Amino acid sequence: MMKQSKILFPLALLALAVGVPAAAPLTITQKGLQFSSTEISVNKGQVVTFVNDDRTAHNITVKGDGVNLNGGLQQPGGQFSVPFTKPGTYEVSCGIHPKMKLEVTVK
Amino acid sequence: MKIMRVRFLTSLCLLLFACAAHAERPAALADFERPARVPAPRGNPMTPQKAALGQMLFFDPRLSGSGAISCASCHNPALAWGDGLPRGIGHMGTTLGRRSPTILDVAFGEPYFWDGRAASLEEQAKGPLGSKSEMNMQADAAIGRIAAMPAYQSAFEQAFPGQAISLDTIAAAIATFERTVVSGEAPFDRWVKGDEEAVSQSAKRGFVLFNGKANCAVCHAGWRMSDDGFHDIGLPDDDRGRAAIAPGIEQLEHAFKTPTLRNVSQRAPYMHNGTVATLAAVIDHYDTGFVRRPSLDTQMKPLGLTAEEKADLLAFLDTLTGTAAPATIPVLPH
Repeated sequence: MMKQSKILFPLALLALAVGVPAAAPLTITQKGLQFSSTEISVNKGQVVTFVNDDRTAHNITVKGDGVNLNGGLQQPGGQFSVPFTKPGTYEVSCGIHPKMKLEVTVK
Repeated sequence: MKIMRVRFLTSLCLLLFACAAHAERPAALADFERPARVPAPRGNPMTPQKAALGQMLFFDPRLSGSGAISCASCHNPALAWGDGLPRGIGHMGTTLGRRSPTILDVAFGEPYFWDGRAASLEEQAKGPLGSKSEMNMQADAAIGRIAAMPAYQSAFEQAFPGQAISLDTIAAAIATFERTVVSGEAPFDRWVKGDEEAVSQSAKRGFVLFNGKANCAVCHAGWRMSDDGFHDIGLPDDDRGRAAIAPGIEQLEHAFKTPTLRNVSQRAPYMHNGTVATLAAVIDHYDTGFVRRPSLDTQMKPLGLTAEEKADLLAFLDTLTGTAAPATIPVLPH
């Protein structure tokens, strides 16, 4: 995942460099074995930061439009940021608790 | 006047006692309230016709290649909807790799199988049917056998008007029936609702331990006592569990789905491989008996439980068995 993130971050920066406006980072919390939203809409290039407010470890997996990211283990209190650089619809889930799902639409 | 004063003092004492008892109620109880309704997916809503058809299919051994195994062979209502065996027994006596899980409250518990490889109950229902080691039944053969019986044709027409008998409709009916298998109200539920006499003091101490020192509730969360997540709890076998389905997360190696604890005292032996014979041995496992390895869930730590604390945990677990209405066995079509 970290390797894949490193690939996506420069893409996000490239988007900024060519003048595409990127909105402020958005924070989604993981608490009570749920994401704080079930669906969100973000702008191309916007970063979503996932904050684990649970007592248990989580994981961030992003799938859709050719993307398959695995964020590895996210301990309680840990954060993980994902830049969404390509328009489309993505499913964010937790590999450990698959019931945790969030749909991200990138405009 | 003297009698009135005595009555007043008695009432005051009762009121204070009631307040004290209420004040001692653990706040965590609020996290364990039973839901008001049983969920069903939009694509397969609950209907009595589908549930009745699904019940027949669930108990019908003719859905297996040998004609000898039904869903109920491994999910027997007389055994808390499991089979009481360390590992399931499949086609021609094959010993399967994992224990048969209960189907109690499955409506709430996706994903399914110990490794979560089925996202829906409908998908799960197809798995054992087609598995060569389980029911060993090809879809075409199953459809042919069912469609040859007029009573089944009629039941399908009522449950799925205008649709052909197919593997999808067979699975949808079985899943619908399985969603009706809900655990009965247990003494613990009555305590959650406010009946302080429903469980013993030992069980109440056990509940506090469950949520505190013993750290059980971190995974055995909510009213079914399951987070529907996957954890390596340090059982010594080579089964990769969830990691074989979702590779790339080290913590999912040897990780299996957290089972519900509803009716748990009726469901020995325990764990995905049935290697732990009693609930007391389960507690010993969590206390000190687990294997240390990189994938071990970070919540697994030696607990240092005393004999009394272990007894309290057992007393609490005993309060999770409900008294559901007896299951009915349907008369099958011919």
